[in-house]
Amino acid sequence: MKYIVTLICLIFTVKCFAQATDKNVIIKYKEYESFDLGNLEIKGSVLAPGDLSVRERERKVFAAGLYDRPNFIPELEEDIRNLR
Amino acid sequence: MKVLFILLFQLLSVNAAASVSEARKIFNNSKDPHKNAHIAQELYKSKYYYSAVVFAKRHLIETSAYNEALENMLEKLILKTGTDNFTTLKGSILGKFPSPSLAFVYGIKLFKAQRYDEAKKRLSLVPLDHKFSPEARLTLGAIANIRNDQKVMASEYKACIEQADKKISDAGDNDKLARYFKILSDTCRIHMARSFYQNGKHEMAMTTYDQIAKTSYRWPYILVERAWTAYQMKDFNRALGLGVTYKSPLLSSYFFPEAEVLSALSYYRLCLYDDALAKVEQFYEVYKPKADELKALILPQKRSHKFFLELALAPIKENEGKSPFIRQLLTQIRKKIIFNVDLVNYKRAINENKYVVKLPNDYFGKTIRGELKRMISFRTKKLNHFVKRLMFNFVNDIHAMSYEMFNIKLEIMSNKRDLVYKNKQLIADRGRGSYDNVSRKVEQQFYEFKGEFWADELGDYSFGLKSNCETVKRQATEITMRGAQ
Repeated sequence: MKYIVTLICLIFTVKCFAQATDKNVIIKYKEYESFDLGNLEIKGSVLAPGDLSVRERERKVFAAGLYDRPNFIPELEEDIRNLR
Repeated sequence: MKVLFILLFQLLSVNAAASVSEARKIFNNSKDPHKNAHIAQELYKSKYYYSAVVFAKRHLIETSAYNEALENMLEKLILKTGTDNFTTLKGSILGKFPSPSLAFVYGIKLFKAQRYDEAKKRLSLVPLDHKFSPEARLTLGAIANIRNDQKVMASEYKACIEQADKKISDAGDNDKLARYFKILSDTCRIHMARSFYQNGKHEMAMTTYDQIAKTSYRWPYILVERAWTAYQMKDFNRALGLGVTYKSPLLSSYFFPEAEVLSALSYYRLCLYDDALAKVEQFYEVYKPKADELKALILPQKRSHKFFLELALAPIKENEGKSPFIRQLLTQIRKKIIFNVDLVNYKRAINENKYVVKLPNDYFGKTIRGELKRMISFRTKKLNHFVKRLMFNFVNDIHAMSYEMFNIKLEIMSNKRDLVYKNKQLIADRGRGSYDNVSRKVEQQFYEFKGEFWADELGDYSFGLKSNCETVKRQATEITMRGAQ
């Protein structure tokens, strides 16, 4: 029994500590950092883009078509409909 | 002289009354199986044309008896009351008599139902010198046109023109009749031109269209067809000139959405993209909102049997404020031949009704009154429907053409993008217009247009724009400047 009470006390103490340390955390970021990309060393073989590696995007072709008048059949029928 | 006229008028009135009472006598007492034909004859004699139609139709339904007197009466009744009264008869009835007049009615009915073979068979029964011959030949020509039978079409239209021209000279002082046959003659020529157009004979089509006089009732309507012909001949300047004719104050009542699309297309073919786009924008900003206004006015009335007819018959001033397109549409409708013919028939029926209501209230009187009431109701609905159909067609046309305008805009954007990708631009440093770019015939002379539409020049306009379709390499300075930005 004595051991159990001691263990519970210990657990509570650790928890209280943990909560206290969480509140006090201060994260600091670097105010300024610079990368010299020119000095960065790239590992691997260097490949320049060529005719085979650059693929041209397929051009969209509009299929709607422009308005055209193949005949005047509707007007022809309308004329007959409008006879006396 | 005055007394003589009064005496003559009274004599005629007495005669008419005598014929009506004779008709009543036959109606009440006769056991003759052909009594309906006799009643019709008596009523026809007294100029009760619509009442005569009732009994003539009963005769056609009930018997097969036919003679010259019946044929003459049927012909006159169709001329006086229109074909509609007989169109309601079944095909089996219209087809059982060897009557050219009924063959004409039946042929037109079959054409409207798109039963062309049967229509052709019926219309061929109308003799060449018959009163309905020009209309029958025109319809036969139209059937051949639809079937693209060039040989038959040419002979039918030729016969139509000859017969119509003969009827014009026969009409003498009767101006209305002469005008009717002139319109028919012009219609046959227009149909021929349309057939040439359909078969790619654009030069011949243009020559045939040119035979229509500028004073013809049909002329304003064919401007757009002539513009299409010029467009197919790649004479885009002429197509633009024909389109601009509609801007003349004399033709302000005529607005055809298709003509606007054709103008935009012509600019597009000349690679004048900014002009084409201006046309497209004008269509969207000016015409479409006006069409929407018209739609808002007519749509709530679409089920009305009277609204559109009352609109057409009201004085133009009363309608002006209702919608921007109303005045133009009503002017066009009032000039339509079928509207005028139907309106005359409608007024004739109403006039006859004034006398029919005074007839004694016996079975004979009640029969005629009931039938005439039905006929007037039908005529009212028909006229109303005619006006309604034209107005809704116009609104639908605006919407359909609006879609076509959108396609033109899309195509121009696509072409402009292609030019950018190819690092090219249109050669735009050319003059906007020159006589050098106008294609002309030997007999044509040209005068500069200075913002005035002269009546004798209408329909002969041509633009002088040079095609801008040649491309050149995009200027380097422009690229550098854009690159710097």
